[in-house]
Amino acid sequence: MYQTFIGLEIHIHLITNSKVFCSCRNEFGAEPNTNICPVCMGYPGVLPSLNAEAVRKSYQVCMALDCTLNETAIFERKNYFYPDMPKNYQISQFAFPFGINGFFDIDLGGGTVKRIRIHDVHLEEDAGKMIHSGGVSFLDYNRAGTPLLEIVTEPDLASGEEAEIFLQQFRQMVRYLGVTDGNMEEGSMRCDANVSINEQGKGLGIKTEVKNLNSSRFVNKALEYEIKRHTKVISAGGTIIQETRLWDEDRNVTRSMRTKESSNDYRYFPEPDLPPYLPDKDFLQEVRESLVELPLARKGRFMSEYALSESSAAFVTGEKEIADFFEKMVQHGVAPQTAARWLSGDVQKQLNLSGESLKASALTPERLSRLLVMVEDGKISRDAAKKVLAAIFTENEEPEKLVKDLGLEQVSNKEDLEKVVSEIVNAHEKVAEAIRNGADKQIGFLMGQVMKATAGKANPKIAQQLIKNNIFKQG
Amino acid sequence: MDVMDLKITAELAKLALTEEETAKLSEEVARMLEYFSSMSEVDVTHLEPTNYVLQKENRTRIDSEKNESDIPDKILGNAPRREDRFIVIPNVL
Amino acid sequence: MHIFEKRWSTALSADKKEYTQFVMRQDETVESFLQFDPERGIALQHTNGSLAGIPFGVKDNLAVDSYQLTCGSKILSGFTSPYTATAVQKLIDNGAVVVGKTNLDQFGMGSSTDTSAFKKTNNPWDTERVAGGSSGGSAAAVAAGLVPFALGTDTGGSVRQPASFCGIYGLKPTYGVVSRYGLTAYASSLDVVGVLSKTVDQSRIVFNLMKGQDERDNTSIMHPGSSNGGAVKRIGVLTAQKGVLHPDVEKSYAEAVGRLQQNGYTTREIDIETMKYVVPVYYTIATAEASANLARYTGIRYGYAAQDAKSSSDLMEESRNEGFGDEIKLRILLGTYVLRSGFQDQYYHRAQKIRTAIRNEFSRLFNEVDVILMPVFPTPPFKHGDSELTPFQQKVADKYTCAANLTGFPAISIPSSVENGLPVGVQLIAPPFEEERLFAVARVCEKDFPSPDSPLYKTSWS
Repeated sequence: MYQTFIGLEIHIHLITNSKVFCSCRNEFGAEPNTNICPVCMGYPGVLPSLNAEAVRKSYQVCMALDCTLNETAIFERKNYFYPDMPKNYQISQFAFPFGINGFFDIDLGGGTVKRIRIHDVHLEEDAGKMIHSGGVSFLDYNRAGTPLLEIVTEPDLASGEEAEIFLQQFRQMVRYLGVTDGNMEEGSMRCDANVSINEQGKGLGIKTEVKNLNSSRFVNKALEYEIKRHTKVISAGGTIIQETRLWDEDRNVTRSMRTKESSNDYRYFPEPDLPPYLPDKDFLQEVRESLVELPLARKGRFMSEYALSESSAAFVTGEKEIADFFEKMVQHGVAPQTAARWLSGDVQKQLNLSGESLKASALTPERLSRLLVMVEDGKISRDAAKKVLAAIFTENEEPEKLVKDLGLEQVSNKEDLEKVVSEIVNAHEKVAEAIRNGADKQIGFLMGQVMKATAGKANPKIAQQLIKNNIFKQG
Repeated sequence: MDVMDLKITAELAKLALTEEETAKLSEEVARMLEYFSSMSEVDVTHLEPTNYVLQKENRTRIDSEKNESDIPDKILGNAPRREDRFIVIPNVL
Repeated sequence: MHIFEKRWSTALSADKKEYTQFVMRQDETVESFLQFDPERGIALQHTNGSLAGIPFGVKDNLAVDSYQLTCGSKILSGFTSPYTATAVQKLIDNGAVVVGKTNLDQFGMGSSTDTSAFKKTNNPWDTERVAGGSSGGSAAAVAAGLVPFALGTDTGGSVRQPASFCGIYGLKPTYGVVSRYGLTAYASSLDVVGVLSKTVDQSRIVFNLMKGQDERDNTSIMHPGSSNGGAVKRIGVLTAQKGVLHPDVEKSYAEAVGRLQQNGYTTREIDIETMKYVVPVYYTIATAEASANLARYTGIRYGYAAQDAKSSSDLMEESRNEGFGDEIKLRILLGTYVLRSGFQDQYYHRAQKIRTAIRNEFSRLFNEVDVILMPVFPTPPFKHGDSELTPFQQKVADKYTCAANLTGFPAISIPSSVENGLPVGVQLIAPPFEEERLFAVARVCEKDFPSPDSPLYKTSWS
């Protein structure tokens, strides 16, 4: 039997106002070559100037991954030629990155947590973009020089599925930190994977690297493909060629990139244009204090503190904004289960309908909490609450006003209801008689009539009690 | 430094040298390397490298964006070949 | 006595035609400017200040908005800079006016200005000879009286050596004190912007206006000011080994030592053990950094592009091969080689460590002396071509100037005498930030021996 070793190199785009070494805007989707300046275009004479926010966000990730922080971090030049890289060297970190030797725990479900070691976390600059068409390539340098954080894992993952889970949970974590939007389609989170197999107990085998993986599903599929390919080659007595391969998503195969060996000598040396970075105590403490509770910890806490089921807790803690929303609702007096049920059910349905994010929508924890308290107090029915919820999204109004405008207030006033009930019971004397004789189920019929007469606004609990009182009093 | 070594080096440096250039330059590079060999006499065991000259403190810039409106167009204007707002080169693939 | 003679502040006023015609006429002989175009500089001028109206030349590896920026290389022929170097901008902000871009060895790599792809600059003392390099255009322009001062850049002596060859002052400030933003990088950890001028005070005022920490240069340092107001008593004199210096240089060096003693300085002969490693260390580090700094020139975003390249890789390779001169290719190859895996320890890393030993030795010496005196270059200005000094010999001759770049310490080249019709200079080196010591000693020497006027030097435009 073979053992599989998978390591990931994950690149995340940091959210900043400006690029990592110049003041050009850091944004996705701008008109080609509009966010460019002499610095990020590698003009003669320019120098890099380090963005403080990119440094800060890098340290947040290092700390979230429990990395050891190098006392002195050093930027280095990684030398290779490529048309989308203006200076033909990339400013990166190599021997002394911001963080080393960290770990990230992935939740494999059912209480199984696997610790994946992190080799290092380093800050670098991204390259531009190329579009290939016919005999030419079109270059857009808007992305050149945007801050990119690379997280390198040790080869601790054992399957494509584990890699996929790692990526999903890692993405969740960095989105929690607010350092990136983690959008794999737009390339703000990218992943290369390396894989090797070997006989049990024999350590790492010869690895291949797979690139062009722009979703966590592809990472899984490409790795499974590679594992099968390696197994076939090795079982047949062959050896794996150490190389870089591309994932072909149309054919579901990986293909060799055929690169020359000599072009892999990056000739790293310390970047003379940037002094070393020595994080001081105050800075590190400030960053540490700014860290939020991470998804795995929060999920555990929600299960114990709010008695949520694992699946319910997993949903609520899936995105930081939902988890925050949930906790605000609990503070406003909504029962945790109720809050979780509404967030994963009707709220999600409405968001899917409108295509909005929770944050951008008109729904606030205060509005939803007040609405659900009305249900709890019997002021409106659950069905009515669903209508009000939908109306909050479209009308952006307070729930109380919508209940009134839509005429959804329940009739809970006993005198008013008693009048209706006695009219109905009188009109259906035979049914009342049957109930007196033990046909309890017939109460439902009378309830229906009461609802009809009140246009559904009767408080069902009170109405039922009044029907019973009326029938048995007469008997 | 032999010719093969020079060829690998030239490839890394993206220089398309002619055969004559290769021959001439490999001789000159070899002469300089020979001259550099005196460095091997020095005991460097207890010496830290001078990667930075005098600057020792952290330097960062506040994360604010400022785009100068006419600069991107001036930069595009300098490109040897372009189409609309793209810079164009022969196909990379 | 004004720092700048009156003719300079009026040169570009109403009848600037006299001045510009003078420069163009003179420069037919000297060939110091690659681009002489005061109108562009006048358009950039927007303030009065202590340098109001004073024209100056800028070496063509320093960026000035709307001027060309060729670095003397075909690979940047026709390239116009969209921005201005910080050091230049500070002078413009004080009223000085850029009049043009001066010739240089390609990318600052050379000691003759002859590796320029565009023209050969002639020494105003003898046009058969070089003006030195790589800031040869700036030196020749000042020595010919075309501008009172010019900016140069100094990576291994490129301000001091041409200043010495042309009989003027050449200041290399402490590394990092003047922003490098806009200085086309040759070797980033060695490059500094320097000044070439006819008098000491001119260099001093220009330096004081240029210095300062710059947000665009993370290696720039706030100048803490000189200690003791630059007081100097003890001068260490590097022992001139027999047969190393050309007789004229040796004679001039001795004269300079005598002048210092006559002026009451205590002199003391010193040996610097690490001096013999200075050139190998310098060329290892400089070429390594250059190999990365010059990787950006590929014919894609700007500059020279090879025609009809079949692939993007061909476009890069052919543009570079056609655009770079031989000396550039040699240094790029050398720098690439010393950084290659398997060779880094032997060359690049070792050189960076020996650099520490060199700096340590200089620091130790400055516990005993306030300033060190050294030759600038072992020979007087040599003739164009390889006949007197081959490119390899020119590199070995950088010995005296490289040390200040490796240590980052400030240094100044001052005229010491004229021998057989050619000027010779000597060099003073001080500890970091002690430029005032250099100016103090230079001023004392200037009283006895001011910058000699070259045969082409004129004090009027007619």
